[in-house]
Amino acid sequence: MKKKMRVLWLSAIACNGNTHSFLNYPYMEQFLDDFEFIYHPVIDSEYSLEDIVSKEITCDILLIEGAISKEFKRADVSVVDIIEKYSKIVQKIVTVGTCATFGGIFRESGYEETSGLHFDKEEPLKTHKDLLDKTISVSGCPVHPEVLVNTLYAIKKSAALKLDNFLRPKEFYAYTVHNGCTRNEYFEYKVDNHRFGELEGCMFYDHGCQAPFTHGSCNKILWNEVNSKTRAGVPCMGCTEPTFPRQNLFSTKKNMAIPENLPVGVGKRVYLTLAGISKAFKIDRLEKKLIDD
Amino acid sequence: MIKLIEKIEGEAKLNFNFKEGKIDFVDIEFMSTRNIENILRGKNAFDALVINPRVCGICGHAHLIATVQALESCYSNLKLSNKAKIIRELTLNFELIQNHFKWFYLTMLPLFGHKQEILKATYPSQLMGKAIAIFGGQYPHTSYAVVGGVVCEITEIDIIKLQHYMAETLKFVEENLVKTKSENFLTCEDADALLDYEGDLPDILRQIKKENLLEYGKSYDRFISFGHNSYFKKGKSLKAKITHNISVLHVKESEMPSSFAKNVSFKDKYYEVGPLARAMVNKTPLIADAHKKYGDSIFSRILARVCEISQLLQHSKELIKDLDLSEKSYIEPSIDISKLSSSGYSAVEAARGTLIHKVEIENGMIKNYEIITPTQWNLSGGTKDKHGVSQKAMIGLSDVKTAELVFKSFDVCSVCTTH
Ligand code: SF4
Ligand code: SF4
Repeated sequence: MKKKMRVLWLSAIACNGNTHSFLNYPYMEQFLDDFEFIYHPVIDSEYSLEDIVSKEITCDILLIEGAISKEFKRADVSVVDIIEKYSKIVQKIVTVGTCATFGGIFRESGYEETSGLHFDKEEPLKTHKDLLDKTISVSGCPVHPEVLVNTLYAIKKSAALKLDNFLRPKEFYAYTVHNGCTRNEYFEYKVDNHRFGELEGCMFYDHGCQAPFTHGSCNKILWNEVNSKTRAGVPCMGCTEPTFPRQNLFSTKKNMAIPENLPVGVGKRVYLTLAGISKAFKIDRLEKKLIDD
Repeated sequence: MIKLIEKIEGEAKLNFNFKEGKIDFVDIEFMSTRNIENILRGKNAFDALVINPRVCGICGHAHLIATVQALESCYSNLKLSNKAKIIRELTLNFELIQNHFKWFYLTMLPLFGHKQEILKATYPSQLMGKAIAIFGGQYPHTSYAVVGGVVCEITEIDIIKLQHYMAETLKFVEENLVKTKSENFLTCEDADALLDYEGDLPDILRQIKKENLLEYGKSYDRFISFGHNSYFKKGKSLKAKITHNISVLHVKESEMPSSFAKNVSFKDKYYEVGPLARAMVNKTPLIADAHKKYGDSIFSRILARVCEISQLLQHSKELIKDLDLSEKSYIEPSIDISKLSSSGYSAVEAARGTLIHKVEIENGMIKNYEIITPTQWNLSGGTKDKHGVSQKAMIGLSDVKTAELVFKSFDVCSVCTTH
């Protein structure tokens, strides 16, 4: 019989969004054949939360969901103490979602020194440095189920995942969310007439789309296997990044009519030159409706 | 005796007081909060559309819809297309349905000594997630409903896809939950007749009868529901007497000394919210019959929640017929939010019951934001002379295990409560 990997899913200051995103993993049966939860916030487990905090139960992977503060408790024990106890015995720690990775929305919860496990927004933390080698971060608010599950399988296989500066597997986070959006042509040719409720137009120019500088696979591995925010017409909010949530999410911050944040690696001057050329195209097809005319 | 209740989207502590072998009082404590209301203060009003779905992982969409409606109520002459209204209602229905599947198969079954049915929970709830994602781009945590409508544009092909997800979900219901054509289930008006059907729901209902649990979970027999739409009516029901003329202005929140959750009352009385409340206000024949026979017990509560899956699927089918794809999805508001100082509120039916959002904005910035969640209604209480709904339902029981079943029959959500 093949050995199942034992996983502890610990929720810190969270909305359980990652928990429910995980429940959307389509091949759950297979997953549960290969992994077992010693504790999970909704899936039945052999141990209770009280067992988890009072005993030391053998475990291979610690998953942390939610922002972390020593003031925040589960079953009357500080989540930091629970993390410290299990981090010594597990092979790997995975910070699941943006809160556990960078602090996310609940960084502002008002608990003392709330942050991610290794980062407070972009800032690397001094605490838990000894765990850096053990940690993989899968950011996202929530994390995409496939990103989480396949990272766990990579751990099971002992595959060497290449990580970026924020400990995120490059296989998922080397892409930008912009890559694969159905609105790409409008971006390329600087057709900036996006309106909500339409199939046409790119949301980068006016409606705050952060996809060109957000690392993630949202437009590559679609959500719920069918769609992505930007394809549907919701601007990417940059939820995989340490900066999430920025303020004024539905509009684009500009300096002299140029978006303040440019695509990863693009300089302002180059962008201006490029924009000038692209705009000169005036492509009729992109000025018109896609379907009805 | 203090018991930690787990897997209710977080935890709560129930402190049981026994007298002569029976539960005499239960103190309910939620041990944490996340302060979303504080997080919102000082932010741009529209940012609430992104922050608020994060109140809860399982009913975040209801929070989005509540947010957008609260913000829209701040405008005096905002226009919404019928199409946008229908699309919002559809996605909200789908969220309710996914919740009910998860609650029944993950939370309820184990309490009756059955194995948790993870795949039966996830398969249909994933289909509903796909259905929401067609419109919203993803589920959970989309922000696709914005002031003025919805951001998506829908084509005939999307509708066809949607209908397939719904048909597949319906097939799941007919092959698992209640093994009959859904027309039979939907037109059945006799709760006892339902016991003769095959399926996971009748199995549990039969078990309740067989194990003499029928008297369990009775409370005040007082229900309320505010979030009216094309399916749900607004109103209250007191021992099956229904009134529709109620106002959110009489809803009051108050602090609880022992807990991070706040109490919620209507005209100083505690009311039950949720599927049973909705069905009572809507006078759904099957649920009215269950209520007549078995009162506001766990039997009626479980039946009402699961029955809502079929009703909402059926109603969503009708809604799709009313969709006019030539209408606009989004109509730009005539004033920019940054020029607006106003206040407003909304009430929406979330999976677990009435969800209320209140907002105050000044020049487009949030000055104050208040959220009242369904679980707060059902779990309010604290004093011995004034029990909350779930407290009252647990009093008189002789063991903690049954009390936990009664407690969880309200589909408690600790995450929402401790927003
Ligand atoms: S809408 Fe966003 S993701 Fe899509 S093309 Fe424009 S910038 Fe890229
Ligand atoms: S599209 Fe952007 S906001 Fe949406 S999930 Fe992906 S990274 Fe997050």
